[in-house]
Amino acid sequence: MNLDPIDQAVISQGLVASAREMGVKLIRSAYSTILREASDGSAALLDRHGNVVAQAELIPMQLGPLGATFRPCAETVPPDELEEGDFYINNSPFEGGQHLPDVFIFSPIFFDRTLVGFSASVAHHLDLGGGAPGMNPDATDVHQEGLILPPSRYNMERDWNGGPFERLIAANIRVPELTIGDFNAQFAANAIGGERVKQLCARYGAGTIMSVMDSHLTYSERRMRAAIAEIPDGVYHGEDAVDDDGINSKPLPIKAAVTVDGDDVAVDFAGTADQVLLNLNCPFASTVSAALAAVKAVASSPDIPFNQGLAKPITVTAPYGSLLNPKPPAPVRARMIPAFRAFDAVVKALAKAVPDKVIATGFDTTHSICMSRLVDGNYSIYLEIYGGGYGAGPGSDGSDGIDGPLSNCSNIPVESLDQQYDFFRVTEYALRPDSGGRGKFRGGSGLRRRFEILADDVTLGHYSDRYRIAPDGAFGGEPGDLTRTRIIRETGGEIPVASKTSLKLNRGDILVTETSGGGGYGDPAERPAERLRQDFESGLVTPPAAHAAE
Amino acid sequence: MRVGIEVGGTFTDLVAIDRGRVTVAKVPSTPARPDEGALSSLAAADIRLDAIEDLVHGSTVATNAILERKGAKVAFFVTAGFRDLLLLQRHDRKRIYDLFYQKPEPVVGRGDTFEIRERIGADGGIITPLDIEAAKQVVGSALAGGAYDAVAICFLNSYANPDHEERIAGLIRERHPDVFVTYSAEVTREFREYERATTTALSAYVQPVIDSYISRLEAELGSRGFKRNFSIMQSNGGRLPTDGVRRSAITCLYSGPAAGVMGAVRQAGISGFDDIITLDMGGTSTDVCLVRGGKPDLSTETEINGLPVRTPVIDIATIGAGGGSIIWVDDGGMLRVGPESTGADPGPACYGRGGTLPAVTDAHLLRGTLKAEAFVGGRMSLDHGKSRSALTPLAERFGRSLEEMADAALRVADANIVRAIQLVSTERGCDPRDYVLVPFGGAGPLHAARVAEELEIGTVVVPPNAGVLSAFGLLAADFLRYDSYTRHLIVEGDVADEVREIFAAMKGRAVEAFAELGLTDALAFTFTLEMRFVGQAFEIPVTLDETALKDLGVETLLELFVAAHHQMFAFGDAGRQRVEIVSFRLGVSAPPGPVPTLAEGHGMELFTTEGEIFDRGERTGCIVMSRSACEPESEIAGPALVADETSTIYVPGGWTGGPDEHDNLVIRRIG
Repeated sequence: MNLDPIDQAVISQGLVASAREMGVKLIRSAYSTILREASDGSAALLDRHGNVVAQAELIPMQLGPLGATFRPCAETVPPDELEEGDFYINNSPFEGGQHLPDVFIFSPIFFDRTLVGFSASVAHHLDLGGGAPGMNPDATDVHQEGLILPPSRYNMERDWNGGPFERLIAANIRVPELTIGDFNAQFAANAIGGERVKQLCARYGAGTIMSVMDSHLTYSERRMRAAIAEIPDGVYHGEDAVDDDGINSKPLPIKAAVTVDGDDVAVDFAGTADQVLLNLNCPFASTVSAALAAVKAVASSPDIPFNQGLAKPITVTAPYGSLLNPKPPAPVRARMIPAFRAFDAVVKALAKAVPDKVIATGFDTTHSICMSRLVDGNYSIYLEIYGGGYGAGPGSDGSDGIDGPLSNCSNIPVESLDQQYDFFRVTEYALRPDSGGRGKFRGGSGLRRRFEILADDVTLGHYSDRYRIAPDGAFGGEPGDLTRTRIIRETGGEIPVASKTSLKLNRGDILVTETSGGGGYGDPAERPAERLRQDFESGLVTPPAAHAAE
Repeated sequence: MRVGIEVGGTFTDLVAIDRGRVTVAKVPSTPARPDEGALSSLAAADIRLDAIEDLVHGSTVATNAILERKGAKVAFFVTAGFRDLLLLQRHDRKRIYDLFYQKPEPVVGRGDTFEIRERIGADGGIITPLDIEAAKQVVGSALAGGAYDAVAICFLNSYANPDHEERIAGLIRERHPDVFVTYSAEVTREFREYERATTTALSAYVQPVIDSYISRLEAELGSRGFKRNFSIMQSNGGRLPTDGVRRSAITCLYSGPAAGVMGAVRQAGISGFDDIITLDMGGTSTDVCLVRGGKPDLSTETEINGLPVRTPVIDIATIGAGGGSIIWVDDGGMLRVGPESTGADPGPACYGRGGTLPAVTDAHLLRGTLKAEAFVGGRMSLDHGKSRSALTPLAERFGRSLEEMADAALRVADANIVRAIQLVSTERGCDPRDYVLVPFGGAGPLHAARVAEELEIGTVVVPPNAGVLSAFGLLAADFLRYDSYTRHLIVEGDVADEVREIFAAMKGRAVEAFAELGLTDALAFTFTLEMRFVGQAFEIPVTLDETALKDLGVETLLELFVAAHHQMFAFGDAGRQRVEIVSFRLGVSAPPGPVPTLAEGHGMELFTTEGEIFDRGERTGCIVMSRSACEPESEIAGPALVADETSTIYVPGGWTGGPDEHDNLVIRRIG
C-alpha cells in the first residue's frame, strides 16, 4: 500500500500516544511498590510480526529486546492460530527472556477478525518463588531463582480470573495478592493498547494502520542510519569489568569491539569473561538490549522513537558460554550488572570516535537491597533499586543520585515504606559528598541510605558492584568513589557487607549503604571557579583546606 | 461595574460589564511589571475606578517567578537525615536515552536546607519527639543573619500528624514575624514526601512575591479611587479575596488557562452546553480541558519547570501548538509542527518582523483560511509573500504546491491537538463524542471544526469575543477553596458514618476559613473521596453531593468506586479485592453574585464577501464575513470564514450554523 507521508505523520502519533497511555495505566493500576512506586515495568505496541513499533519510555533494558522475547512465543503457537482472549507469556532467560521476575505478556489485537498487531507489557514482579523471598543471591542455577514461565499461549477466560494458570502461579509465589494484582495491571494495560489500536483501525482502516506500522519502523531506521553515518568509520575498543563473581575476588572483564562501517554498527563482545557460577550471567537478549541502548544514547538524538527499526543497523555478537551469552541453566538474576558493564564498554569505545557525544562512566549498577520477613505465615518483602552518580559530560556535571542509563526505576517514597513495612525504618536518605569524580565537569554524587532494623529474623539479599572497581573518569577526569555497605550491630561491632551476599539482620541493627559517584570529564584544574564555589557552598564537595585539616 | 483583568505574557485583556453593557480592551503587557498592563488596560477602557464594585485579577506573576527563578530566598526545614529530599527527587529520568540528562533544579539550595530532629510515623504516632530547645538553636542560627524572606517546613509523615510542623511554624512566626512561613500540612496533606516538600517549597518561594505584588497593586488602585472587592484568580478555577491568596500563593500558578476554562464553562452553559471540551489556542500553545456537567476535572499532578505541584488544579493538558508553531521536517523525513515556536517576536514569517521560518499562521494565510485584511480586526497587516518564501523549501521537498503543503501542515497541527484532547478524554475513560467543543483564543476557532471531525464531535460552540474569554472567566469564577485530609479507611461496616463525621469536621473548618474572608452567603460544598483497591498506590476520585453523602452506604460507595475504576482502567471487581478510602477533599464555594453574560462587541465593520480557500486537497469558494454581520438566527453554510475582532472562525464544508440568542456561534456537522 502506498502511504501518504502526511497520513504517516498524523497516524503514527496515535500509535505512540497509545503506547504511552499503556505505560501510564500499567503503573497506576499496579499493586506492588516495585511496580507502582518504582515503575519497574514497560509497555509497547508490536506489529503483527512481533516487531516493536512504539513504546512507553519507561525502562530501556526491558524494551530493547521485546521482539526477541516475542519470537519464541510465536514459534510455540503461530500467531495465525491465536483467538480473541489469548495471550502469550514468557520469562524464560534462555528462550528470549531476561531474568525471571520480568514477565512479558503479549496480547493479540484483532480487527474484523484480522490480526493487526500485539500489545505487550512487562513488569518486574516482586516475588516469583525460588530459593528466597524477592531474590536468591545464592542460587547456582536458574531453577533456584524462581518459577520459569516458558514461551506459551494461554486464554484469559479459560486460564485466568480464578482459572488454572492463575492458580498455578498464585500457589508458587510468596505474595500472591500483590503479584496477581500486578499481572492484572499488565492485562489491563494490554487491553487499553488493543482498544486504542482498534479505534485507529476503525477510523483509518486496518490496512492503513498496518502500513503505518511498517513505515514507522523504516522511519526510525532511516534516522538511526543517518545518525550512525555521522560517526567516523573504524574499529573502536572499550573495556570495563564486573568487580568479582561473588565467590572469588578476581575481576570479570567485559570487552567491546565496536565497528562503524558507513551506516552500520557491529558490536562484538569477544574476550569477555566466561560465565560464572552465581547470578551475574547476562542472557543474550539483555546483552543485545544493553548494546542497542548504548549506541542509541551516544549516536542519536533522544527524539528518535525507539523501535525494532532502530535496531536494524546494529548487530551484536557475544561468545556462547561467556558472561554475556551464558548457557543454561546458569542463574541470571543480577544480569543488569554485566549488562551495565557492556553498556559502559560500548560507550568507552565510542568515546574514541565521538568524544563530544559521550559521558564519563557512571555508577551504572543495579544496587538492589531486598529485605524480607515471614510473620504468621505471610511474607513481607521489600525490594528497591538504588542508582548513584551519572558520569559527567563535555558540557555538564553528571546528575546526582539517579538510576543508571539502562534502568529508570523511581525511588519508593519513604512515607510509602513507612506505611507498608514495620520491620525497618529509613533514618537517612542523602547524597554522598565527595563521591563524584573531579573534573572540568564533576561526576554526579552517589547516594547514602541508612536503615534501622525494627524486628528480628530479617533476611537481607543484596547484589551490587563498584565495590572494588570505581567508575572511570574520561579525558583527564577522575574516577568516582567506591560503593560500600556495612552493618552496625546492636551487639556492637561493624561488619562490611560484600557486593553479592545474603545474611540475617536483627532488631537494633543499622544497615548503611553508599553508592558510587560518577566519573569526572576533563582536567579538574580547568573547572571554572564559579562551579567550584557552588560545589563548596552546596557541601557536595569539601574544600581542599578542610581535607588537609582532617 | 464588574471588571476582569487577565495579564498574559504578551497581552493584557480586560472585560468590563456594567448593567449588560460589555467593554473589551486588549493592551500590550509589560512583562517586568504586570501591574502596568493592568493599569493601562483600565485606562484604555476608560474606566473610573470608583465605579468598580468587583475587580478580579489574574496574572502570570507566580508562574513567572518560578520560570525565571525570581522568587524569595527560602530556608527549608526537614526531618533530620533527609536534607537532600529536594535534590534526590524521584531518582528517575524523564528522557531515558539522554546521557546528558539534568534533573529539574529545586527552588531551594542544598546550603539553605536545615535538619530538625524529630520523626512521626505513618500512623501519626511520635517516634522521635521534637526537641523544641534543640530546634530553637537550629532555627535561630539559620535565620539569625536575616538572609531569608520565607521559610518552608516539610517533615516526614506530617500528612498524618502535623503537630511538629505546626510547632516549628509557630516558633518561627513568634520569633521572626517578618518572615513568611509555609508548612507542608497546610499546603497539601498527601503522602509522598518529595512531591509534598516541593509543593511546599514552591509555595514559600512565590508567597512573598505575590504578597508584595498584591500590596503594590492595591495601593495603586486605591490611590485612584478603587475601594471595593478585589479578588485573585487561582488555578483551581475559583477566585479568592486577596487576603486568602496571600496565605496560599501556590494556588495562583497557571491561573490564566483556568480562567479561560471558567469563561468557556459559563458562556457555553447559558446556551445549555454543560459537557464541553475547551480548546484554547494562542500564539505558542494550546490548552485543552474536559468539563463534565459544568465542572472541570481536577488534577493534583501538575508540574512547573519539571517540579511537581500537588494542589488541586483544573486538569488542563498543554501542547506546543499555536499560531507561531514552526513547520519543519525532521532528519527522518517526517513533517512536524511545533513544539518550537517563532514566539511573538519575530513571529510567523507573514508578520514581516524578520522571521523566515514557516509557522501555522503562514499556512493559514497560504491556504486562505486567514485573510490578510481581516486578521485581528484588520489592525495588523500580514505579508503573503513572506509566507510563500518561508514555506517554499518544504513544498519543493515534498513535491507539493504551496497550498497543498500548507494544508498538509495544518493537518499535522490538528493531529497534535487531537492527541491533547484524547489525553483528557479517552485516557480518562470519557468519549469525546459525548461533548461539544468550545474553542477560543486567537487560533482556536480556526482549527476547532476539523479537530472536532477527527474526534467525531458534532457540535462546536464559539463564544463571543473568543480572544478575551479568559478575562470574562475571571468574572464568572466562584470563590473557591479546597481542603484535603489523608485518612485510610477500609470500605466495610459502618465506614459511611465515619466518612460523614470527617466531612462534617472539614466542613466546619472550611466555613470558618471562608467567614474570615467575609464569605458567608450561599456556600456550596463538594465532597470527594480518593479511593483505590487495597494495595494500589494511585487513587481515583469519587465525588458526592450533600444528598448523596447523607444517604451513603457501603454498597453505594463500592458501586461508585468500581464504576470509576472501570471507566479509567477497564477492570476491577470489588468481589475479589477490598477497597479503601485514602483521603478526603472538600471544596467550598460561594457565588460571586449574578454573572453577567458576554456579548459580542460591535466595534467592527460589517462585511460579507467571497473568497477562496484550499482545504483537504480541494480549492473551493467560500463566504468571508464579519461576525457582526451574522444575523440572529441566520444560517451560515460552510465553507465560510467568520472574523471578529480577536479571532477567525472557520466553518468548513459540511458544517452549518449561526449565532444563538446568547451570541454564541453554534455550528453543527451535517448528517
